[in-house]
Amino acid sequence: MDLFLQLVITGIMLGSIFALVALGWVLIYKCSGVLNLAMGELTLIGGYVCLGLYQRFVTVMPINYAFITAIFGTIIIGLILGLLTERIFLRKMIGEPILAVIMVTVGLSFFFKGMVFIIWDTDTQIFLPSIFSIEPIVVAGIAVGEVYVWSFVAAILLMVIFVSFFKFTRWGLSMQACADDEMAALSLGVSAKFVYALAWAIAFMSAGVGGTLLGNINGLNYSVSHLGLLVLPVVVFGGLNSVPGAIVGGITIGILQNLTGGYLDYYFPGGIKEIAPFIFMVIFLLFKPYGLWGWERIERV
Amino acid sequence: MSYLPGGTYFESYQDDQKWWRTPFIKGKMILMLVLLALLPYLVGSQWLSVVYTINYYILAALGVQLLVGYCGQITLGHAAFVAVGGYTSAMMVLFVPWPEWVVNWGLAYPISIVFAGFAAAIWSVLFGLPSARVKGFYLIMTTMAAQWITVPLVITQYVSQIGGRGQSFSIPDGLIKIGPWVIDSDVKIYYFSMVLVLICLIVMGNLLRSKVGRAWIAIRDNDIAAETMGVNIVAYKLMAFFVAGFFAGIAGSFYISALFFVSPEHYEWFYSLLWVGIILIGGVGSIQGVVFGSIFVVMIFKLLEISVLGASEFLMSSYPEIGWITTKFIFFKESAFGLAIIFFLMYEPNGLSYRYWQIKNYFNLWPFSYTGK
Repeated sequence: MDLFLQLVITGIMLGSIFALVALGWVLIYKCSGVLNLAMGELTLIGGYVCLGLYQRFVTVMPINYAFITAIFGTIIIGLILGLLTERIFLRKMIGEPILAVIMVTVGLSFFFKGMVFIIWDTDTQIFLPSIFSIEPIVVAGIAVGEVYVWSFVAAILLMVIFVSFFKFTRWGLSMQACADDEMAALSLGVSAKFVYALAWAIAFMSAGVGGTLLGNINGLNYSVSHLGLLVLPVVVFGGLNSVPGAIVGGITIGILQNLTGGYLDYYFPGGIKEIAPFIFMVIFLLFKPYGLWGWERIERV
Repeated sequence: MSYLPGGTYFESYQDDQKWWRTPFIKGKMILMLVLLALLPYLVGSQWLSVVYTINYYILAALGVQLLVGYCGQITLGHAAFVAVGGYTSAMMVLFVPWPEWVVNWGLAYPISIVFAGFAAAIWSVLFGLPSARVKGFYLIMTTMAAQWITVPLVITQYVSQIGGRGQSFSIPDGLIKIGPWVIDSDVKIYYFSMVLVLICLIVMGNLLRSKVGRAWIAIRDNDIAAETMGVNIVAYKLMAFFVAGFFAGIAGSFYISALFFVSPEHYEWFYSLLWVGIILIGGVGSIQGVVFGSIFVVMIFKLLEISVLGASEFLMSSYPEIGWITTKFIFFKESAFGLAIIFFLMYEPNGLSYRYWQIKNYFNLWPFSYTGK
C-alpha cells in the first residue's frame, strides 16, 4: 500500500509537469487549430536554455536565486522564440489543409532538434551545482524527492498564472473569443494574428519551464523531448480544446505512467512505461473519442 | 504527336480510363522502361543504391498515398507496418524449416514476401479499426500509437529477442534467392526493386480506376455523402488500410534484401513522418506524386550528404583548428531537411506533381497555353 501511495503521489507531481506542457498545446489548438507535433522540441529548447542561463548566473549569485532568475530568463526567451516561430513559420500556413500544417510542425521539430544538438551537443547534461537535495522528504512513511515537490509547486503556480491570464485579462479574453468563434471575433476587432502569436508564446513558455523541471529530475538529453509526445495522450484524454481537461489529463497520465512502471515492468520488461499512455489512449479513443470535456463536432453535409 | 487536348476524343468511360490512351503515351512508357532497364550500364553503383532507396521509399509511400491522398485517412505510423513486413519476411527466411526443393528452387523469399504483405496488412487493419469511429486528428493519434506500440515495444523488446541475437537479425549470403537468382549485388537489387515498384504502381493504378478506388475517392471527398450514396464506408476504409498495409509489407520485405539485416532503427517514427512528407512534397492524391516526392527527398539527402562530406574534407585539410565543427554537420543536415519540408509546404503547397501537370499542359496546349497561376 505504501508503494501504491508513493507511486500515485509521485505520479501526480510528474503529471503536473505534463499538465503544464499540455496546457500550452491546448492553447495553440484552441486558438489557431494547429496540431503541434513539435512540442517535444520546445521542451528540449526550454530545458537547454535554462541550463545555459543557470550556468552563467550561478557564477555571480547564490544557487537558488540563480535558478529562479534562469527560469525567468527561459520564460522571456520562450516568449521571444514563440513570437518569432509563429511569425516566420506558422503565419503563412493559416488556412492550409490540416495535414500540411501538421507537417510544418514536424519540419519545425527536425529543425529545432538539429539546432539544439548543434548548440548543446547530444550528451546528457545535468544542472550543476545541483539545485535540489537528493534527500527525499518523508511524510507518514511516504518518501518523495524534493525535486518532485518543487516541480509540482512550480507547475501549479505557472498553470494558475496562465489560466488566470486566459480567464481574466483582456488579452486572454480575446484568445477565448478567437477560440470560440474566429469569424465573430475578427468582426469584433480582435486581431487573430496577435492571438495566434500569444498562443505560441505561451506554449513556448510553458514547455520551456516543463523541460527545465524534467531536466532537473532525470538530467537533460534528447529523451526529455519524449514528453512532447506524451502530451498527445494527455490532450486526447482531456479533450483537445479543454483547459481543465489538459490539467486533469496530465495528472492522470502521470499516475498511469508511474503505476505501470511500478507494477507492470516486472511482467513486461523494457519500455512499457513509455508505451502505456499510448495503449491507454487507443482504448480510450474507441469509447470516448472526444475526451472528457472536448467539444463534440456535429457534422453537416 | 497525338496528344490529348487537340484532336483525340474518347467516346466511352473505358477509353478514358485506359492505360494507353494515345500512342504517344505508349511510346513514352516504353522509352521509360528501356531507360530503366539500361540504367545500371549508365550510372555507377553508388547511384544505383540511391535509385533502389528511391524505389523503397516509393513502395512505402504508396500505401501512405493511398490512405492519405485517396481515402482521406491520415496515417503517421506507416513505418510500423513496414517493420512488420520486414520482420515477417526475415524471420520466415531464417527460421522456417523449408523443404529442400523450396530452397533449391528459390521460392522461400518470394513466399515470404507474400506472407509479409498479409501480416503487415492485418496489422494495419487492426490499427485501422478505430477509423470506423474516429477521424482526422484522432486517427492520427491511433496510427501514431501503432508506431509506438509496434516498433519500440513489440519489435525491440520481444521479437528481437527471438534466437537470442539481441538487436538485429542478419541474413546470411545466399538466403535471399528468387528462382535461380541470388540477390547479392547492387544491380540485382536494383532490378528486383524496379520490378516490384512497377507491379505495385500498376496494381495501385488499376485499383484506383475500379469500383473500389472510386469508393475510396468518394470517402475522401465527403464520407457522409458517400455513405448516403450507398458506399459501405467502414468496409472500404478497412480495405484501404489492408491494401496500404500490404504495400508496406512488400516494401519492408524488399528492403531486407538490400540491407541484409533488419533492426528496429530502420523503422523509427522519423520514417513515418518522412513518408507523409514525401507525398506532401510530391502531391497529395497523385500516383506520380509518390515517385516525384521520393526522388526529391532521397536526392536531397544524397546531395546534403555529398556536400557535407566535401565541406568536412575541405575544412579538415584547410582549417584543422575548426575541424570539430564537422562533427556537427549531421545535425546541420537534419535542420536543413526540416527547413526544406517547411518551405516546400509554404511555397509549393500543391506539390511537384502539380508543377509536372502544368508543364505538361503548357506543351499540350502550345501555342495557346494557359495553365492557371
